[in-house]
Amino acid sequence: MTILAQRHDGPDATTAPGPRRRLLGLVTALLVLSALLVLSVMIGSTEISPSVVWDALFHPSADIDQFAIRDYRLPRTLVGLAVGVALGLSGALIQAITRNPLADPGVLGVHAGASFAVTVAVGVLGITDIQGYMWFAFAGALVVTLMVLALGSTRQGQSPVVMVLAGVCVGAVLGGAREAIQLTDPEAFDAMRSWNAGSIVGRPLDLLWPILPLLAVALVLALVVSGPLNAMALGDDLATAQGVHPARTRILAVVALTLLAGGATAIAGPVAFVGLMVPHVARWLVGPHQRWIFVYSILLAPSLLLASDIIGRIVMRPGEIPVGIVTAFIGAPVLIVLVRRNKASGL
Amino acid sequence: MSNPRRRRGTALTAALLGAALVLTACGGDTEPTTDTAAAAKTRTVTAGNGAVEIPAAPQRVVALGNTTQPFIDIGGKPVGVTELSASELDPIPAEQKATYEAATKLGADTAEVDLEKLAGLKPDLILVQVPDDEFEGIKKQLEAVAPTLFWGLDTEWKAFADALAQAGNLTDALSQQKTQFQDKIAKIKQTYPAIIADTKFVAVDRWDNSDPGTFVISDFGCIEIAQGDIGLNAPKAAAGADPLGWTNLPFEQIAGLSKYDAILYPVDAAGQPKKAFAPVVESNTWKTLSTVTSGHALGVFCPGNNSYGPVLQYLDSLDRALAALPAKK
Amino acid sequence: MTARSVLVLRRRRVAVRLEWRSLLVCTVLAIAVMSVAVLALMTGSYQLGPDQVVSALAGGETGLVHTIVVEWRLPRVTAAVVFGAALGVSGAVFQSLLRNPLADPGIIGFSQGSFTGALIVILVVNGTYLQLVGGALVGGMATAVVVYLLAYRRGMQGFRLIVVGIGVSAMLESINTWLILKADLEEAMAAAVWGAGSLNGVSWGQVVVGGACIAVLLLLAASLSRPMRQLELGDAAAASHGVRVSPTRLGLIVVGVALTATVTAASGPIAFISLVAPQIARRLARTAGITLAPAAFVGALLCLTADYLAQHVAPTPLPVGLITVILGGGYLGWLLFGEARRRL
Repeated sequence: MTILAQRHDGPDATTAPGPRRRLLGLVTALLVLSALLVLSVMIGSTEISPSVVWDALFHPSADIDQFAIRDYRLPRTLVGLAVGVALGLSGALIQAITRNPLADPGVLGVHAGASFAVTVAVGVLGITDIQGYMWFAFAGALVVTLMVLALGSTRQGQSPVVMVLAGVCVGAVLGGAREAIQLTDPEAFDAMRSWNAGSIVGRPLDLLWPILPLLAVALVLALVVSGPLNAMALGDDLATAQGVHPARTRILAVVALTLLAGGATAIAGPVAFVGLMVPHVARWLVGPHQRWIFVYSILLAPSLLLASDIIGRIVMRPGEIPVGIVTAFIGAPVLIVLVRRNKASGL
Repeated sequence: MSNPRRRRGTALTAALLGAALVLTACGGDTEPTTDTAAAAKTRTVTAGNGAVEIPAAPQRVVALGNTTQPFIDIGGKPVGVTELSASELDPIPAEQKATYEAATKLGADTAEVDLEKLAGLKPDLILVQVPDDEFEGIKKQLEAVAPTLFWGLDTEWKAFADALAQAGNLTDALSQQKTQFQDKIAKIKQTYPAIIADTKFVAVDRWDNSDPGTFVISDFGCIEIAQGDIGLNAPKAAAGADPLGWTNLPFEQIAGLSKYDAILYPVDAAGQPKKAFAPVVESNTWKTLSTVTSGHALGVFCPGNNSYGPVLQYLDSLDRALAALPAKK
Repeated sequence: MTARSVLVLRRRRVAVRLEWRSLLVCTVLAIAVMSVAVLALMTGSYQLGPDQVVSALAGGETGLVHTIVVEWRLPRVTAAVVFGAALGVSGAVFQSLLRNPLADPGIIGFSQGSFTGALIVILVVNGTYLQLVGGALVGGMATAVVVYLLAYRRGMQGFRLIVVGIGVSAMLESINTWLILKADLEEAMAAAVWGAGSLNGVSWGQVVVGGACIAVLLLLAASLSRPMRQLELGDAAAASHGVRVSPTRLGLIVVGVALTATVTAASGPIAFISLVAPQIARRLARTAGITLAPAAFVGALLCLTADYLAQHVAPTPLPVGLITVILGGGYLGWLLFGEARRRL
């Protein structure tokens, strides 16, 4: 889902709520996220009583149900939190630097790069466990984003539109190559089917630890550039007049978003829609203030992801629906209702 | 291992196909037409695409899609094949591998078949098993080259072997395999009557395509043979519902396996847990499962379920596993 | 930055020069299409001499040689040209309509919807080829209508159409992923091959029926091309020139979707041509906006070349859709790269 629309001065400019309401919204979002974190540990595809959950966390023993909590539900919740934060923030970053409310990290080829690298790892090198191929996903995302950045750069800096077009081209070429490998190798195709859906089931915490410092670095970078990005929303020239370096800001933002989106994709696979939708909704809630958009995205994205994951666990018991499939089902109707309600009109 | 998600063979199709084969076998073979030499050299067989006139003793056979491995398994020597994947090729005997290597590859499994290359082989018979819509796309082209026999994916494996042997004039080799199969089934039934009658089994599996942290309760593939031919008691999907094996279960449901008396899990030829299944065996929930700790989890090797050769290997493995099952308390 | 994207460069060319350049580009592209077509007719894994091919085309051969040249190679080449042109025009119509360089019929959910329809027929119903075509068309059309209706609110806005299209497509994509995930491997792969778009086994029947539909639709598109160019300048400006905005826009959407639908019915959704052909054409012809004829020729050349490469150069025959993506994406990337450099 990587579509470029023209920049639009949507409803945000007119309906920005005051600081008080923003703060209230922030507290609400925080409460919702906390509640979902608790629910995510409590609810699973099997019934485990709250007392066992409590014991599993605070009085651990070698009981089979306690293992289920400690080995599966707890890591899954933490992974969901980390992946959600990363996706939301990376989406906010890409929308800020392309000044395009419909861009998501996918437009810079993050998913295409990760998928291609994982296909090579699975199809050509025969790696089948996630511990092995998650690094391919990460490296693929990183290399491709840098490639897109280079392609989209001119001697004067980066042009957002050319960058996005370059991302779509590189993404398409890699996507074609990936499909070509998959369609001639049934085993690679088969192994990639579930990865493509995007899921946070069965990722042990060992998978998360090495990625976490990278995400932390990116988080700091994102907050650092949020101010300059705000200035750049009005155009590079105005930003320069305020003492902002658009090129430098953009590079830092791309580095941050690559780490975030690459890390999230490495762990969970290509989870679509969260990175696209959440910053969009955040912008509708708080108006065009990057820092607020970032903070809201950090809270709303993991909420969407965890809520989707919980729903995915219970609607098809005993089976589960991968989270990447549920997010679109929850997110898309919200997006459609919002775009119909707002006088969003941009063109 | 190979094609774990093969469609369930529906009994109805099998029965119809079997009946059709019997009819055509009678009709085609025993009634030499009054015409001359050319007619005497052909016979009519019926497959999923209707009655087709084929050479009495085909010499240059092209085997496409799922027909490749089963056709080679009954001693067929195809001149052209679609590629087998590594996991399909791995467990087959060396001389069959040589036959496969010698054949011209006409394209990757299920991807596009190089029709002109196929025509260049000048085959006198083409065997195909692919999804229905895919066959329809190339039906005319194949039939323009040589008589073509098609079977749908839901063809039951025994009827499929019969049909392939019939088509390729290889019924002698097949009847030998069938005898071995029947003997093996009879032996298992005689040796473990009590276990078969009183044990609640469950077959579990995990594939390369499974999400990390998920497994399935398997009800198709090799376990269908154990259920159907031996009478093993293991969970099955309700009639008309999706197979149980299509539902990925998260690891937290491993605990629920304790309600069965014995677990059958997939191992490789060497008896080690299949690579894709290893994460289940290594999990804490599996290690603390009472069925496992009491030795009631049995590793079984299933190299394939679409022809007699691999099925015989499976039965040998199942035989050894049942022998190792501790007596019931 | 105005609503029209920065990609629009070199607006201030003399109109006459533009037309000449377009004509020249179209002629060169037509010659290129012919050359590749001849090459494709001559090549194949079944060895045939040029004399045999010519005599088969003239009707002088029978048996397998006739079958291969006249029944296999010729319809395939024809299909590649006709379908490619249809996709090019379809994309051009949408990019002009939505004033967005990355728009194609996929934007209103057509591609995802038709794939959902096809997947349901292949995986759930296990239907015949005809049902598959029906499923794809119904799925695609229904999605397009749903998106259009959901986005329609006191008039139609490009931006709202895009957002609703993205939302609905994302949901359908989830369904598609789910269906493929749950399916049996062989069937899932067959569905993926169909989803990539393939000309393998295309027959005269499909080419004749598809070609006739496409011819009619291309005429319609040509008749709408003038008001289309005026719509690009904005609704108000177009209306002041006497263009009836809403009917024209709806007509363009219908033509654009129907062109893609026809190709999808015959060969599956061949990706990316509708997206890149108008962009490549615009850069070759150096026109300010989107023009239909060059887009059609670029589409035809792209599709034909891609199918040639897919059949004869790839290590194993591949669906043409995979090559169009690589070829088209690569070429557009290269053009962009050059453009970005030149702009300094």
